[in-house]
Amino acid sequence: MPEDTLARSVGDQDTAQASARVIEVRGLVKRFGDVEVLRGIDLDVRASEVVCIIGPSGSGKSTLLRCIAFLEVYDQGDVRIEGRLLGYRERDGRRSLASEREIDEVRSSLGMVFQHFNLWPHMTALGNVTEALRMVKRMSRRDAEESGLDVLRRVGLEAHAGHYPEQLSGGQKQRVAIARALAMRPRVMLFDEPTSALDPELVGEVLAVMRQLATEGMTMLIVSHEMGFAAHVASTAMFMDDGRFVEQGPPAQLFAAPQSERLRAFLNTWRERSI
Amino acid sequence: MTGIDTDMIARYGPLLLAGLVITLRVCALASVIALLVGLALALLLRAGLMVVRAAARAYVEVMRGTPILVILFLLYYGGPSFGLVLDAEPVGILGLGFYGAGYFAEIFRAGFESIPKGQIEAARMVGLSRRQIVYRIQIPQMLGLIVPPSVNQIIILVKESAVLSIITVAELTKNATQMANETFAVVEPYLAVALLYWVLIEAIARSGRWIERRVRHA
Repeated sequence: MPEDTLARSVGDQDTAQASARVIEVRGLVKRFGDVEVLRGIDLDVRASEVVCIIGPSGSGKSTLLRCIAFLEVYDQGDVRIEGRLLGYRERDGRRSLASEREIDEVRSSLGMVFQHFNLWPHMTALGNVTEALRMVKRMSRRDAEESGLDVLRRVGLEAHAGHYPEQLSGGQKQRVAIARALAMRPRVMLFDEPTSALDPELVGEVLAVMRQLATEGMTMLIVSHEMGFAAHVASTAMFMDDGRFVEQGPPAQLFAAPQSERLRAFLNTWRERSI
Repeated sequence: MTGIDTDMIARYGPLLLAGLVITLRVCALASVIALLVGLALALLLRAGLMVVRAAARAYVEVMRGTPILVILFLLYYGGPSFGLVLDAEPVGILGLGFYGAGYFAEIFRAGFESIPKGQIEAARMVGLSRRQIVYRIQIPQMLGLIVPPSVNQIIILVKESAVLSIITVAELTKNATQMANETFAVVEPYLAVALLYWVLIEAIARSGRWIERRVRHA
């Protein structure tokens, strides 16, 4: 094998290994005052995997996702995105808060979708999608708009590019929010209860977009109450309670044969509610 | 004798108009200082470091808790003790500007707080810098909310500029007092000056409403 090809193949292997685990969480602890909300979480999300975190309200699901995005400063443990520690820098075994720039750099691999969309109301759908392309990636207005329209097309909203958020339905707003995150070409998408604020008839359109992303091979970490979606789309479901993962596995197995009493009770409540 | 001596007002017209020009200049410059320093203070009030926040808060509280006249006396008559020797007009501009900044800081702070935190988090997640978040996300949305109280604050500043007459700035009220001293009349000088203040303030209020309409539509 010629030397450069060999070098490339070794390089590719390295990249393949590094990309295998897009998110790596070890021993994550988060406290709010005296309350320990996350009590030593371990989590791996590999490339193209769709991981769904389920659990009762107050179990720490959203806090976990926010710590992984470093929107909450975690107290102990590691969050590594593609191998790089997020939020802290380590020198000589000591740890200090990373600079905003360092955080932004590691965080650029992440896209995040929020429960309440968090669109910028003074910008059109296209404005929301192109803002970071222009301001962060320094693209020209024309290139940014071209790329923004492409992403809006992917979520089925090209025709609404000129609409302001207040002119859109909840489902459309959430799809714009997904497009805004996708435009930055993240390696992994974090979804924090993306359908919880939606009217029931609008949930489907958002889940359809997420399902499409999953089939395209997007790595996704989802906190959701949509058990049906988790069952059909997720490769792994994780049940969280009281700041810990209680059970995890392929969703079909987890939902059909829960091992823990806590998950059984949670599933029963959910089934009763769904009838 | 009854009636208003319009001839006297016409005679003193140039003096009053010269005062109006000074009032305009002082208030325009003081407003710019108040707006800029106020914005800086509002940002410092939200700084990560507690010491910085506390210092900005102390500034706001001291300025709001001190009469403008006391600040002007300290700067103008007390200034030389600290090596600060300035003419009356610059003292007036700086005094009014830094005094007004305390009020603008609170107006801007309320504006910043009106933007939901989620919008800022979304901006951080796509990599916008702190500065970009301020200029692209927060300020454009704050405008509709902060324009009316800011216009109000500028109007108050214009009215308070009358106090500058006490430290000998030749502004509108000072020149009206000069007219009163020279003519022994009271009604004509102060009525004329009241009318000029009203015209000036009405112009500011109308501009404010125009800006308000513009930012609402944007």
